[in-house]
Amino acid sequence: MEKILSKHFFNPEARRLSFYLQNDGYEAARKALTCMSPQEIIEEVMKSNLRGLGGAGFPTGRKWSFIPKDSPEPRYLVVNCDESEPGTFKDRHIIEWTPHTLLEGVMIASFAIGAHQCFVYARGEYVRYANILQTALEEAYRAGFFGKNIFGTGFDLDVMIHLGAGAYICGEESALLESLEGKKGWPRLKPPFPAVSGLFGRPTIINNTETISYVPVIIRNGGEWFSRLGSLKSGGMRLYSVSGHIRKPGVYELPLGTSLREIIYTYAEGMRNGRKLKAVIPGGSSTPVLTAQEIDVKMDFESLAAIGSMLGSAGVIVMDESACLVKALAVLGKFYQHESCGQCTPCREGTGWMTRILHRILTGRGVKGDLENLVRVANNIQGNTICALGDGAAMPMISFVTKFREEFESHIFHKRCTAVR
Amino acid sequence: MSLETLSDQLLAEISEILAKHPQRRPALLPILHACQRRNGYISPEIERAVAELLGIPVIDVREIITFYTLLLPKPVGKHHLQFCTNLSCHLQGAEESVAAACRRLGIEEGETTADRRFTVTTVECLGACDMAPAMQVNDDYYANMTSDRVNELLDKLS
Amino acid sequence: MPTLTIDGQPITVSKGTTVIQAAEALGIYIPRYCYHPGLSIAGSCRMCLVEIEKAPRLEVACYSQAADGMVVHTITENVRLARRSVLEFLLSNHPLDCPVCDQSGECDLQNYYMEFGLYQSRFLENKIKRRKAYPIGPHVMLDNERCILCSRCVRFCDEVSKSHELGIVNRGERSEIALYEGRELNNAYSGNVIDICPVGALTERDFRFQCRVWYLNRTASICPGCARGCNIEIHYNVLRPYQSKGKRILRIKPRFNPAVNKWWICDEGRYGFRHIDASNRLRECEAQTADGVIPLGMETALKTAAAWIGESIEQHGKDSVGFFLSPELSNEDLYAILKLARHLGISKIDFRNPGEHPGFEDNFLIRGDKNPNRRGCVELGLYHRQRENGGWMAEEIKQGTLRMLVAFLQDLSLEPEFKAALVSLKRLIFVGSNSNATSEQAGLVLPSATYAEKNGSFTNFQGRAQRFERALVPLGDSLPENELIARIAAHFRMPEQPFEREQLLLDLRAEFPFFDQSTLDPPDVELAYQTTIAQREHA
Ligand SMILES: Cc1cc2nc3c(=O)[nH]c(=O)nc-3n(C[C@H](O)[C@H](O)[C@H](O)COP(=O)(O)O)c2cc1C
Ligand code: SF4
Ligand code: SF4
Ligand code: FES
Repeated sequence: MEKILSKHFFNPEARRLSFYLQNDGYEAARKALTCMSPQEIIEEVMKSNLRGLGGAGFPTGRKWSFIPKDSPEPRYLVVNCDESEPGTFKDRHIIEWTPHTLLEGVMIASFAIGAHQCFVYARGEYVRYANILQTALEEAYRAGFFGKNIFGTGFDLDVMIHLGAGAYICGEESALLESLEGKKGWPRLKPPFPAVSGLFGRPTIINNTETISYVPVIIRNGGEWFSRLGSLKSGGMRLYSVSGHIRKPGVYELPLGTSLREIIYTYAEGMRNGRKLKAVIPGGSSTPVLTAQEIDVKMDFESLAAIGSMLGSAGVIVMDESACLVKALAVLGKFYQHESCGQCTPCREGTGWMTRILHRILTGRGVKGDLENLVRVANNIQGNTICALGDGAAMPMISFVTKFREEFESHIFHKRCTAVR
Repeated sequence: MSLETLSDQLLAEISEILAKHPQRRPALLPILHACQRRNGYISPEIERAVAELLGIPVIDVREIITFYTLLLPKPVGKHHLQFCTNLSCHLQGAEESVAAACRRLGIEEGETTADRRFTVTTVECLGACDMAPAMQVNDDYYANMTSDRVNELLDKLS
Repeated sequence: MPTLTIDGQPITVSKGTTVIQAAEALGIYIPRYCYHPGLSIAGSCRMCLVEIEKAPRLEVACYSQAADGMVVHTITENVRLARRSVLEFLLSNHPLDCPVCDQSGECDLQNYYMEFGLYQSRFLENKIKRRKAYPIGPHVMLDNERCILCSRCVRFCDEVSKSHELGIVNRGERSEIALYEGRELNNAYSGNVIDICPVGALTERDFRFQCRVWYLNRTASICPGCARGCNIEIHYNVLRPYQSKGKRILRIKPRFNPAVNKWWICDEGRYGFRHIDASNRLRECEAQTADGVIPLGMETALKTAAAWIGESIEQHGKDSVGFFLSPELSNEDLYAILKLARHLGISKIDFRNPGEHPGFEDNFLIRGDKNPNRRGCVELGLYHRQRENGGWMAEEIKQGTLRMLVAFLQDLSLEPEFKAALVSLKRLIFVGSNSNATSEQAGLVLPSATYAEKNGSFTNFQGRAQRFERALVPLGDSLPENELIARIAAHFRMPEQPFEREQLLLDLRAEFPFFDQSTLDPPDVELAYQTTIAQREHA
């Protein structure tokens, strides 16, 4: 299968504008700006079946179509490069190895929605990688791809790269907007959705880095072509971040619908040290865990939903028999406790509560009823919060405890860890 | 207290940032980043000076600094060792490298060496699970941290 | 105008109305912590979750806007469960120190727990320790352990007082209310955060441990602190004075009036009740004699007052007697005085006008005019007589034409001309509640009741005559001014009846149409500071 975004990963040359141009760089943007109307671009993206790759999987073309048309009001494009979902590291690869693909996508998307200003919000830890993107951006500016009158079409576009400062919640789109406005990342109440009232109260489209990066190839080869790469409802390719007890951790670009088994055993070359697979988180830490028996699932939105999990950010975390799942869940619990923004009651109070229960179980002080209570607390968070972080904290709890109950019970009743060391 | 706290260089950098932002408040995070890069952390004096500069309540700046974990209200060592202990790094034994660093430096997690050269902290996922166990020292990422590699790194950083 | 159905009852509301408001209009109370009608919507406590048909999950009633055809359920099993779980979350880190908490009895954690909670606690973990009760300003104490982070206080300081002292620092469960070090919560309206705090996290320094709130009596009143006339409630403790060291009034709370003060009052007004039980209160009638000041019985004192006035008029004519009034008197007091003056033919009436040096003023509630009833004086036709701040009276006193003065409430000696003139007066009667330099110079002192001890009305700067009710029995022998006047009038063969409260009002309205048209606000007891279930049921 021909790679799209990952074709030139690990080739430092590929970051350069000259290299990019030799490989048809910015041709899709030229085509979009000079030969297509914004409406045509949006239709092409709709045809491609491209869905948001940041986690929620919302159809990208549809999202763009919500932007008010024929209104003189300024609007913005925001690229979400906050990438803080545990197990996810694909956006980092994009800005490190193929920054111009993202920038070209930015150009096309901005044109499609009529934005003249784009912000790229990169997590604060990614300073070095954001600098690579900044260098590429400056190169592109110098070559006239950004700024005023792009391709002589009269279209103006400025891009600003903004660094976060250490807050997972700022990956949530409305918290990200707050952060861009200089505030703390407290998610906003919805509606209104950003496409109606976003950054500075203006219509705003927020897309994940990878989502935007797939736009150029869609314009170049057509939406149909991209859509046919994937499964029926989830078009195209995507980058799977694979990590954990795996021989070859890394980013794998594969069609949507590739089976999890294939990803683990074929591409990532199987389990480390010949150990047995125990559990897999398929789409970043917030998605419900799968057992070893469930890995024949196709990695697309519908197939995972059908077995009660989610594709999320496609961050695959693989755990073998040596992993203590009580500890693993406690690690995740601590993460959500640490990252809850603290705005709404269930998530603020519930994440810490669940983590304390897990810590108690882990340190041999678990009691009967703890698991029921843990699941009950998780259920009381889920669906009752302002943003999806609460759900993301609850889902691993419910799925781990449900699917690996004996392991937790062993800790509680026998004070014994069943992980194979 | 006030703008004199900020060095001329920093003030120049700040006016550059302000020039890029049509509104003032959105410049807050970039300005705090700049302050921290030059000063190592954000002191109460800087906090007040920035609030004054942007014309915002100082408690707002305090909220921001205590909300975002990368903004530091207290100084850290010259080399800030940040070990990811989230799931993928934990699965690969991140705690070992944390322990190795602490042992070698004679400090606990969260502490700074007496000579102010090293601080060890554990952090949440760095977006580098492919490099697990991963760590960040100041701006740089390091991959596959074992006790040995921690020691090698510390030799180099000294 | 969307029409929606809440718990089976249809209601049509204006566009933009939220579900919580629409429900309230139907008399359906949805529990809430962060929502306050006077503040922006936070939607963060999640207490007000309700079921809206066709929505995939529960929605917060405080933020959801009414839509046509919307069907809302506020008492389903899911809603009950959600409320109970929010309560459980809030209590999971709450210290449960109700026995030593001043909010006890008007706490929305307690109230909702009784109404929606009552689960078996399943919380085995250690609670987060935080800073307990410490002062954060001249009037307010903060207890971070009791705080449920509803952010009402922060929004108040950002949106209403616009003073921005408070913030929520840290993140997640470590979040807490804080001030910047070295700053205090010291704005002109700081006390309101105590009222809107739904729990006992913000309490009144002044009221701490004074009295359990369920022992408090409450009476609707009007703040006499300035010309706005904020609607207030006086909270007092008459049955158990030993609990509060003999102080009768324990606190003042705002009373909701959308046209005057909304939900708020200023600190000046909130703590401006101390003169009522102050040591300089005049408790009995006094007369100045060669042997010094001697107490008099009320009957004797009133007889003396009437005799002095009568003598002066008889011997030196009607113009030898003057009344020096105060814009702190109620409409009824002023009118009673006017009636007596007319009966006796006295026309030398004036005011001291401290408002010529207006005090602090802002563009919110606080007025520069510190008198509650200047507008009433104007409407009664008294105020225009005021000339050069009463200086002409001082002149006439010095010339010897004005021989006798009945001075109400205020200290005349604060005016330099008067200070000099007072010694030339043949006779000075002082009517007032607290002693001052003028009362000390007076030959006869008649103690009068304070606003908390009488019925009446003040006309605020907007022209609203607002009624207030008597909360306390007048201290000692003191009486409301209009009663004193009525009883003096009796000595001049005026019947009592025109001075009776209802007749006074009827006549007032008949003679001054202004008081007929102007809204004479009924003092309905609506609590602005709390809308708890207990109190609603009580009402
Ligand atoms: C807690 C939380 C964290 C998130 N973090 C990210 C992130 O780091 N990157 C991202 O692209 N989307 C993240 N999202 C999803 C965004 O809210 C949003 O759906 C996405 O950026 C939209 O882009 P897409 O449609 O291209 O996926 C997060 C959502 C939540 C609730
Ligand atoms: S769910 Fe958690 S992260 Fe989201 S708004 Fe509520 S407290 Fe904040
Ligand atoms: S102190 Fe009171 S009003 Fe302020 S956030 Fe806490 S509970 Fe709410
Ligand atoms: S009252 Fe609606 S969320 Fe708090």
